[in-house]
Amino acid sequence: MADEKAARFPDPHEYQIPPELEGWEEMYPSHYLFSKERGEWESNQFWYQDKIHAPEPMPPLDLIFQEAWQISLSQYTTRVFCIPPAQGIAQRMVGCYMYICAIAPPPEEIIREKAGLFEKRVFYVFEHYDELWEKWLTKFRALGEEMKSVEIPGKMPRYVPEDQVLPAPKGYYISYDIIEAFDKLVNMMFKGWQYHFEMLNLTYLAYLMFGDVSRNLFPGISESSIGKMVAGAYVSMFRPEEELCQLSRLASSMRGVSDIIKSDVSVKQKIAELNSIPDGKRWLEEFDKAKDPWFSVSCGSGWFHHEGSWITNLDIPYGYIKSYVERLEKGEKIERSLDELDKERDRTVAKYRELIKNDEDLKSFNDAHKTVRTIYRYAEDHLFWVEHWFHTIWFDKIRAFGRLMVDNGMLNETDDIFMFNRYEIPEILTELATGWALGVDIPLRSDYYKAKAQKRREILQAASEWSPTPALGIPPEEVAEPFTIMLWGVTTDKVKEWLKGVGEGRVEGMKEIKGFASSAGIIEGKARVLKKLKDIVEIQTGDILVCPTTNPSWAPVFTKIKAAVTDIGGLTSHAAIVCREYGIPSVTGTGISTSVIKTGDMIKVDGDTGVVTIVKKAV
Amino acid sequence: MDYILNFENLDKDFLPLVGGKNANLGEMIKADIRVPPGFAVTTDSYKCFINSSEVSKKIFKILSSFDTKSVDSLNKASTEIQDLVNSAPIPKEVEDSVREGYAKLCQRCSVEILPVAVRSSATAEDLPAASFAGQQDTYLWVQGEDKIIQDVRRCWASLFTARAIDYRIKNNFPHERVLISVGIQEMVNSRTAGVMFTLNPTNGDESKIVIEGNWGLGETVVSGSVNPDKFVVDKVVLETTERAIAKKHIKCVYDPVREEVVNIDVEEDMQNKCCLNTQEITELAKIANNIESLYGRAMDIEWAIDDDLFYPENIFVVQARPETVWSRKKKGPVIGKKSGHQLLMEQAMKRIKISY
Repeated sequence: MADEKAARFPDPHEYQIPPELEGWEEMYPSHYLFSKERGEWESNQFWYQDKIHAPEPMPPLDLIFQEAWQISLSQYTTRVFCIPPAQGIAQRMVGCYMYICAIAPPPEEIIREKAGLFEKRVFYVFEHYDELWEKWLTKFRALGEEMKSVEIPGKMPRYVPEDQVLPAPKGYYISYDIIEAFDKLVNMMFKGWQYHFEMLNLTYLAYLMFGDVSRNLFPGISESSIGKMVAGAYVSMFRPEEELCQLSRLASSMRGVSDIIKSDVSVKQKIAELNSIPDGKRWLEEFDKAKDPWFSVSCGSGWFHHEGSWITNLDIPYGYIKSYVERLEKGEKIERSLDELDKERDRTVAKYRELIKNDEDLKSFNDAHKTVRTIYRYAEDHLFWVEHWFHTIWFDKIRAFGRLMVDNGMLNETDDIFMFNRYEIPEILTELATGWALGVDIPLRSDYYKAKAQKRREILQAASEWSPTPALGIPPEEVAEPFTIMLWGVTTDKVKEWLKGVGEGRVEGMKEIKGFASSAGIIEGKARVLKKLKDIVEIQTGDILVCPTTNPSWAPVFTKIKAAVTDIGGLTSHAAIVCREYGIPSVTGTGISTSVIKTGDMIKVDGDTGVVTIVKKAV
Repeated sequence: MDYILNFENLDKDFLPLVGGKNANLGEMIKADIRVPPGFAVTTDSYKCFINSSEVSKKIFKILSSFDTKSVDSLNKASTEIQDLVNSAPIPKEVEDSVREGYAKLCQRCSVEILPVAVRSSATAEDLPAASFAGQQDTYLWVQGEDKIIQDVRRCWASLFTARAIDYRIKNNFPHERVLISVGIQEMVNSRTAGVMFTLNPTNGDESKIVIEGNWGLGETVVSGSVNPDKFVVDKVVLETTERAIAKKHIKCVYDPVREEVVNIDVEEDMQNKCCLNTQEITELAKIANNIESLYGRAMDIEWAIDDDLFYPENIFVVQARPETVWSRKKKGPVIGKKSGHQLLMEQAMKRIKISY
């Protein structure tokens, strides 16, 4: 066995990166690189590729979300709620891919100290969850609104507007404003991510606790059954789709509106036509009401700028509404029965409860379930507000900066701004401010930035064609960090699987991929790999969907497919929940399915064990 | 006097007349569980037989005269009695009833000479089953009235195996109080068959159904002469949480030339093939759940899947009896009485061991 002779993965300091990626290091902050100064510590830790948050090469500015979670996730475990034997999760970049490490437990005395703090601090959260959630949502929405209100100038004016000078000078001007605005955005992003983990670590801990209780009482119970007992239906992540259904019903009740919605013209033209009739105006008002916040939903995971969101791609919500209106006209049902989903969960819990034959265990089970249900909606709700709504606002603001740079000739295209990290952008903005302040005909280092953006795009492209090692360093003897277990599923099996993969390097030869067994059943069929939501039109009835991740933007697809496989997402991810609801198998969080599986491959999805097998490659 | 009774007319109140197995089949039919049709030859038939032609007198004479301390003497007595039971004339009214019952069953199944299973069904439910080993007689693929009569006699005779006689003497159980019924049931032409438990026999976990199956008739699984395919199914969500496909060398089938069931080698390409599909596993699990709730206790069920019919009409239950091993054990709490806080605190202290 390969795992016996290679009891460790390559040393991070010796690991070779392909020459085509030359220059990758300068895309990321220096503390993200493996380094001599920290060499001994780094070599003794276990680093694995974070395929959940960073399945693809990291554009420099998109690293900000990772930077923010490294701090925030870790601090809640180590310094805020003090989960006794757990430490934080460290990150490093290796050739544009992110590796993470659950740091080994601290000395016993620290564990004891933290145990005292944990007891004192944690239970309050469970006892006051509803109240705390209300507070959380209020402050988080306020933060998002504040980010929205940050003004980014569309142009550098020839002269400062008169009202900023007379009757009294404002005192600071656009040269300062642009730098301040960017700093504000960065600060708010970090603050938002501090909020993100406010109750998430405890949520995961509660989930793991309930999982262990269930496994003790019902040995061999599947992960999907545990997920089924915990997941809720009335969560923010489902709202965007609900809103679409309501808009579709409204449209189909108004003849003129439904005719326009169904027509084959551009969204822009549809809006113009809707505006020309009274019903249309009314419908548009309703659309606008739903749009903020509910259509600020990413077409992907929310982690990458290139994914886009509904409000930046209105074709997507309009396309769905069109197909819903058509289905309504055929007399079909469009709403998903969330009530039914909730009832199904309660029925499942009740049936397991009946299997417990003694009162003591029954009490523990009931208490465990109540505890996890109290807090679990946090996992489901925060996701919409942070990764979708908040990130959508961020991308929108950053693009405004991108346009400003393009307008001043510093970049070729708006999205080139994402090729610079958050420390570099102030540098560019400072040069812009300086050039503007210096007067007219001041040369800027535009070609330098343009060339840099271009080179970085090439590096990212080269990186996407490279499959790096799944892990680096020495596997640990034990793991205590809740995210590491729940989100990344680092267990003996996983480590063994990675060890097997060492030396294989490439993914082409892989026949079997493992992930979460998130919706039961076994089925074989033709794979349809959809890397982007806009390719959705290609899906055929009876296909097996293979995609990076799904969210409500993908919902209408589920009525056509017979199984789903995702790269990202756990047992309570959108794909998992919807597949369970439709009774089709799914394997989620496989990390690599979209790069291993090709459209047309015959694959077998085993939702009972979480294994996807390539039965026959497409020719 | 009811010499025979159709399964669908039986329930647990008929136990003294038709024995446990037959009464169970009636209960299940009433609960809409698919059981192959058939009828019970009642204990009245047996009584009528034994009381005619002085059969019983002769039997009890032999029983009262042999040396209970000598194994040879016991064996001799047993053989003599069994010969007697197998040869004494059966009262016409009993024999006619059985022949008529079979003829009607053939008619009902639209088969001229219907293959059936002939099984003894004990009435002494209060005695440990193992002690009545002789009563576990089963004859498969029996065809024609004469053969059936012959096998009914063999079932009756099984009351007098040396082991059964010995047990009754040692436990002071009067021979004349033991009665026997026989079940005559349409044979399932099984592609796959086996047993299932409504708990995990490995660890007593009551949240699982464990199904074991092999190609052909279920006898190879029941007797343990083959490593069966094994499926562990979650009772609540009906997911298969564990499946182990074994290499299945032999299967039990009917040999039309020898006119009996025989063990034959399984074709090479079928040996490692799973003997049940997902749909069938789920359906079997549902049936197991129904049977368990019908009896309100853990059950041990024999099932068969017919090769000639289509899903779900092809799935049959041929036997069901209470599970006895784990059901007798008193199980203590697994977790104990703990609050959510305690459980959370314990969780927070946990470390997952990684070994590789």
